[in-house]
Parts: sequence; C-alpha cells; structure tokens
Amino acid sequence: MSFRSSITIVASPRPRVGKTLVARLLTDFHQGENRKVVSFDLNSGERTLTQFLPQQTVAASVRDVNGQMALFDRLVTDDDTTKIIDLGHESYESFFTLAQQIDFIEEARQRSIAVAILFMVTPDQTSVTAYRNLRDRFPRAMLVPLHNEMLGSAQYRDKYPISGSGGLTVKLPALAPGLRKLIDSPPFSFANSNMGSATDVPLDAHIELQRWLRRIYLEFRELDLRLLLADLSSSIRFGS
Amino acid sequence: MARPAVILVGADKGGVGKTTVARTLIDYFGAHQTPTRAFDTEAPRGTLKRFHPDLTEVVDVTSVSDQMKIFDTLGSADAKVTVIDVRAGLLSSTLQALTEIGFLESAKKGQITFAVFHILGPSIASLEEIAETARVVGDANYFLVKNFVNNTTFFEWDPATYNSYFKKIKGAEEITIPKLNEMAYEQVEVASVPFVSFVGNKGPKGEAANYSFVLRGYVRHWLGNVWGEFDKVKLVDLVSPKMESNVRQVAG
Repeated sequence: MSFRSSITIVASPRPRVGKTLVARLLTDFHQGENRKVVSFDLNSGERTLTQFLPQQTVAASVRDVNGQMALFDRLVTDDDTTKIIDLGHESYESFFTLAQQIDFIEEARQRSIAVAILFMVTPDQTSVTAYRNLRDRFPRAMLVPLHNEMLGSAQYRDKYPISGSGGLTVKLPALAPGLRKLIDSPPFSFANSNMGSATDVPLDAHIELQRWLRRIYLEFRELDLRLLLADLSSSIRFGS
Repeated sequence: MARPAVILVGADKGGVGKTTVARTLIDYFGAHQTPTRAFDTEAPRGTLKRFHPDLTEVVDVTSVSDQMKIFDTLGSADAKVTVIDVRAGLLSSTLQALTEIGFLESAKKGQITFAVFHILGPSIASLEEIAETARVVGDANYFLVKNFVNNTTFFEWDPATYNSYFKKIKGAEEITIPKLNEMAYEQVEVASVPFVSFVGNKGPKGEAANYSFVLRGYVRHWLGNVWGEFDKVKLVDLVSPKMESNVRQVAG
C-alpha cells in the first residue's frame, strides 16, 4: 500500500443513525485484519463506543484546544495504526470546521495517511446539505455514503451523488430485531467468536449474525481497496 | 533599480502588538521573495530580533548615528524593504525626526516608498493618537491597524467616533489583524521563531521541530488571514509594483 495507515471518520449531523455501530464494526474488522487500531469516541453523552470497546477506544473532544491537540496531533502521528472516529452529531460541525481550518486532510496526505469519511445517509435535508458541504470543503478526502438498511431500505442515490474518489455506497445490511438487541448490549463484541457473553444465542441466530458480519466485512474490504485506489490516483494526479 | 521602501510600524501606546504585526510583515515579504531587513528600536532588548535575528538590527532611532545607519543605507542595502518596529511612545517623535531629516520630503517626491502601520489598541486613547500622527504623517501610505491578535474583548470605540478620526487622514486604509488562539500564540513565543517557521514545523536554525499540528494549523490559518489583509491593500504592489502579488500559500 502506498499509504501507511488510514483514518476513517464515521459521520452524520443526525443522532441515532448507527454511527457507533459502524465504528464498532470497523474497529473489529481492522483488528481481525491484524492491524493496530485505535478508536476515538467523540460523543459527549453515554460514550457507547467506549463501553463496547474500552481497550481500543479513547474518549475525545474538540471543545477546547487541549482536546483538539490530544485528538488531531495523535491522528496525524505516524504510528502505523488504523484510526476510527465515531463523530457524535453534536461535535460534527466543530470537528469539520477545525479540520478545514488546520488543513487536516492535507497534513494527513503529506504523512501518507489516507482519510475516508463514511457519511451515514438519511433522507432529511440537513444530512443532504451536510454531505454536499463536505464534498466542497474536503475535495481531497474520500467521501463515501453509507446506507444503514436498518433505518429503511429506501435508496437516496440522487440525493448523495458519489464523489470522484468515493466510489459506491457502503451498505450496512439489515439485521433481525432480536439480534440487534443482542449486539447493542455491552459488552458484546463482534471480534469475540463466542459472541461475548451471549451463550444462549441459538445456533441459527449465530449463523445469521456471522453471515451478516461477513457481508459488512466484505463491504469494508472493498472500501479498503477503494481507499488504496484513491490514494494511488491522487498520488498520480498531484505528482507526489 | 526599484525605489526603496520603508515601513514604520508603531503606536504611541505600549502593548498593542506592534512587534507581532512587524513579524507578520517580514514573513509576508519573505513569502513574496522580497528582500527585507528590519530595525528594532527597543534598544537594548529587541523583541523583533529574537524572532528574526538574521534580518534585524537593534537601533536607537533617536540617535543620529543610528538614523544614518537606517536611512543613509536605503539605496545601497540589498534589502528592498526596510521594516522599522518603533518602540512604544516614539511614533510621533520618529515621524517628527523623519520630517526634520528630509525623509518625508523624499517620500513626497517619490524617491522612497513610505508606509506607516499605526497599530491601534482597544482603548479610546488609541484614537487620539490618530489625530496626533495625522499632523506629521504627510503623504505616507497610512494604514490603521486594528489588532485583535491577543485581545479577547471588543474594542471600546464607538464606530462614529472612530470614523471621525479615520477620516482625518487622507487616503488612510484599514487593516484588521484577527485573533489568534492564545495557546498557539504562546507556543510561537516560546519557540522564538518566525510564524512561517512555526507553521513549517522548523526550529530557529531551520531544523525539524515538533510543534503541535493543531497549533501550527491555527497559526497557518491566522497568518493566511493576516496576509489576506495585506493583499487587500495591495502591499506588495506598493513596495514592488512589478512583483506577483498573490502569494497566499503559507509555508508548510
């Protein structure tokens, strides 16, 4: 790979659209690929990501300069670590405003760190506008729409035009309500082959969960490849 | 050969950020590849010299020998632009001295480009300085600089009052220096390097440094805005009409 490590920002200006679930899945996916992973929990409330992945997660904030330094200085540190950001909706605007102001994407690029923004698509105008705004503000970041099918099966392709390097929409497949309850109860871990403490999971449910995980991990693997491709294209285009 | 340019940065009140503005000017001309030298009149200390030691000489602007050192060398120095950071309280008297040595007359005849950056503090006393300075500034390019760099409070002037002072000087232009995050400002102070070196993550001797990326980002953003203000008043065109005037990319 031409980039040494990657940062994936899971973002939406809306609450309760599945950002933390995606961040958990990504963290477990990268761990399963034997990568060093650290996740940053930018939710000021319950810190759900921290509850699920206490070993891998750092509570972060962009409210003051100390918090900003603790987060962004670590993000651009060349430590061969894959970084996942669970960007809570209340930190959405301040995070991206600061990122633009300090030229975060360019700094990461100079340090051979690839940055992807996984944007949770929903039909509301706030999200549509926010997505287009991100495209304008960060033309060199890979902006990828993510459709959480648990929120409904409708497609919003016309509302979320694919950016040049972003490629296709990532799909988070729907999951049976019973299994959703299971995976949303800490300390459930996708990485744990025994499915956490849920020893009473019926075999068919277990199989369904594994099948679901394989589908989403396949999407992530493709995302990884797209990130690599975008990085190579960018290197060729900008001659670096 | 292009005519030399002299930029006087001053205020009669202390602590309004004269040296900070002088530093941004030196960085700005450096980015435009305009050879620049600086004189720091805070003898014997010299804050400006601490940040730009290779370009700066500490002088006593009230002494004739140092006045000769500055003004008699304008035509012969390699530097095209001379920035003078005038110590607090000496702006009016320096302008008076420049009148007496015929410098302002030379500027009037177009032999020298002369600009005054009058840094205003947040108090009403700063406005009163304008009237005082206006008497002697003559035909210089006059810039009134509202400096918010390390100020957290709003300026206490009434806009109408400010405008009445502002209009006293023919052709005066306004420059606003935006606020810079306190921690970022402090870290540049501690590092004792030019703003562009801090942005470029370089130490005093050009060696690689390890400044915070976030703080460097704040400084880069701020410096870009300051230079935007200088672009707005066409500062490069003023000191060097033929030069490209749109270098906006800050080091790093």
